[in-house]
Amino acid sequence: MYLIALKMLVGNRGKFFAMLFGVALTSLIITQQSSIFIGLMSRTVGFIFDTPQPDLWVMDPKVQFVDDIKPLQDTKLFQVRGVDGVEWAVPLYKGQIRARLSNGTFQTCNVIGLDDASLVAGPPTMVEGSLADLRRADGVIVDEAAANGKLAKPGPNPDSPKIPLKVGDSLELNDNRAIVVGIARATRTFQSQPIVYTTYSRATRFAPRERKLLSFVLVKVRPGEDVHAVAARIAQQTGLSAYTGPEFKGITIRYFMKNTGIPINFGMAVGLGFLVGVAIVGQTFFSFIVDNMRYLGILKAMGAPNRLLFHMILLQTALVGVIGCCLGMGLASLTSIVSKNSELAFYMPWQVPVVTALATALITLITTAFSLSKVLNLEPGIVFRG
Amino acid sequence: MSTPAIVCRDVTKSYLTEKTVTPALRGINLEVNEGELFMLVGPSGCGKTSLISVIAGILNHDGGQCLIFGRDPNEMSEEERTAYRGKSVGFVFQSYNLIPTLTTTENVSIPLLLNEWNRLDATRRAEEMLAKVGLTNKSRSLPSELSGGQQQRVAIARALVHNPRLIVCDEPTSALDHTTGGEIMELFRQEALNGNRTLVIVTHDSRIFRFADRIGVMDDGQIVQVASSPSELQLDKTTKK
Repeated sequence: MYLIALKMLVGNRGKFFAMLFGVALTSLIITQQSSIFIGLMSRTVGFIFDTPQPDLWVMDPKVQFVDDIKPLQDTKLFQVRGVDGVEWAVPLYKGQIRARLSNGTFQTCNVIGLDDASLVAGPPTMVEGSLADLRRADGVIVDEAAANGKLAKPGPNPDSPKIPLKVGDSLELNDNRAIVVGIARATRTFQSQPIVYTTYSRATRFAPRERKLLSFVLVKVRPGEDVHAVAARIAQQTGLSAYTGPEFKGITIRYFMKNTGIPINFGMAVGLGFLVGVAIVGQTFFSFIVDNMRYLGILKAMGAPNRLLFHMILLQTALVGVIGCCLGMGLASLTSIVSKNSELAFYMPWQVPVVTALATALITLITTAFSLSKVLNLEPGIVFRG
Repeated sequence: MSTPAIVCRDVTKSYLTEKTVTPALRGINLEVNEGELFMLVGPSGCGKTSLISVIAGILNHDGGQCLIFGRDPNEMSEEERTAYRGKSVGFVFQSYNLIPTLTTTENVSIPLLLNEWNRLDATRRAEEMLAKVGLTNKSRSLPSELSGGQQQRVAIARALVHNPRLIVCDEPTSALDHTTGGEIMELFRQEALNGNRTLVIVTHDSRIFRFADRIGVMDDGQIVQVASSPSELQLDKTTKK
């Protein structure tokens, strides 16, 4: 009888494809919006993700997220180095500096100043040049996306494509000359600004004059020491806050979740996707059931128990759910492949397909329940009505 | 002496609406024997369909007793009644009621699948049944590709395929022309009455009365006459076609 149920479903092609479309659209919206949301949230912590070397990030206690810089006095670095359990501690500059491009326009860049001696917190992947090249005069490393996009030079004609920035080209950073000595690949930032790596001393020279320029102190804990114990000691002895990488990521993500409209906007899109799914699939399936009510009545009259009809309907909705869900997630994955290395923040961890599959299952269950009451209360006597 | 297949004693049935109670059967007394083709005739709304619904175990009656092969469907549990319909009753409907997305073989095999036959055996048996009703070469056709008469033959094959003891038919010839209607009734007599099967046919179609062993005339929820031949009937003009 299950084969009969499937033939009844697939035979009504118009409704079958309408239901598939509904589920596919729903799972596409849920998958895509959730993945973009997670992608955006990942970008907010991209810099922390790209900097795995330190055990602790030390900062002003008022810092709310990674881009919320509350500069410290340089002497804080030495205080941190003096805390028991600290293997090494290095300064890090992180700030926004205006770059003047060769066509005269300006572009705000995210400048990262690395400890001159160790170059800790450098870019994760070098595409061209090496990190050590930063020691060359006026040297900076530019991220690949910016080199090909926002920092690229204009072509010879207004309509010509931009010419990517390459090693040896120069930039003007806050009226200071900088020479590109390397191209790196880094995780895109939330604001998608170009990332420029240089040394700490050079970054503080490029930065507008301020009394305090130290953004973070990056700390490696001595082997065998408890990281949280050292963090507590740093906090106690310096008055600063010290977080592990995952803690700092959590603080940053919580800030964006709490203080921006992003979760609400994406949550609404996902919720609407779900409702659209329930509406389209529910209505179409209900209409399919109404169309088939006479035939279900015949089956009931001929001896089909309610249990069998329930299983047949569940099989029909499950088939629509599985195929539609796979189609939707497949389309979303295609978006992921097509948008790789683009501005679209798309990141689909394994949890997203699981949530989408659960949402689709819920839609099919709601749809089944909606239609089932009609079938279970169906009088087989309907078969004798002309 | 023939054994009674259906024994109805003072069977009553009423339909309740929000404000009114509409009696459909007002004390039906009827006996139909095994191997008998019994026709129920009468004007629209006289209770014919309600009576075959009660006999087929589709509808509960309110009062009296209706024994079908010795058991009253009212006294069966819901599961027993479903099983009774699946094993013992075959249905033929006015508008054929074949499932449009299934082939003729699949339509005919449904009662067997409901009786837990495996698909291969059910298909083989359905094809045999289609051959018996003269549709050997239509086994893969969809209902929409068949004429009205052919669709009714498929419906008959479906009603007979699981070898039920009782067949109830609701206006089986009303959508067919005279010749096809006659052929369908011949088919019923040849195939359906084999093996002491009992047939109850509700009809308005006076052209087929001659195929009946007995004819019960209903009016206003009661059987007012049982005749052994069409010539004995006293019908009002609403029953005649």
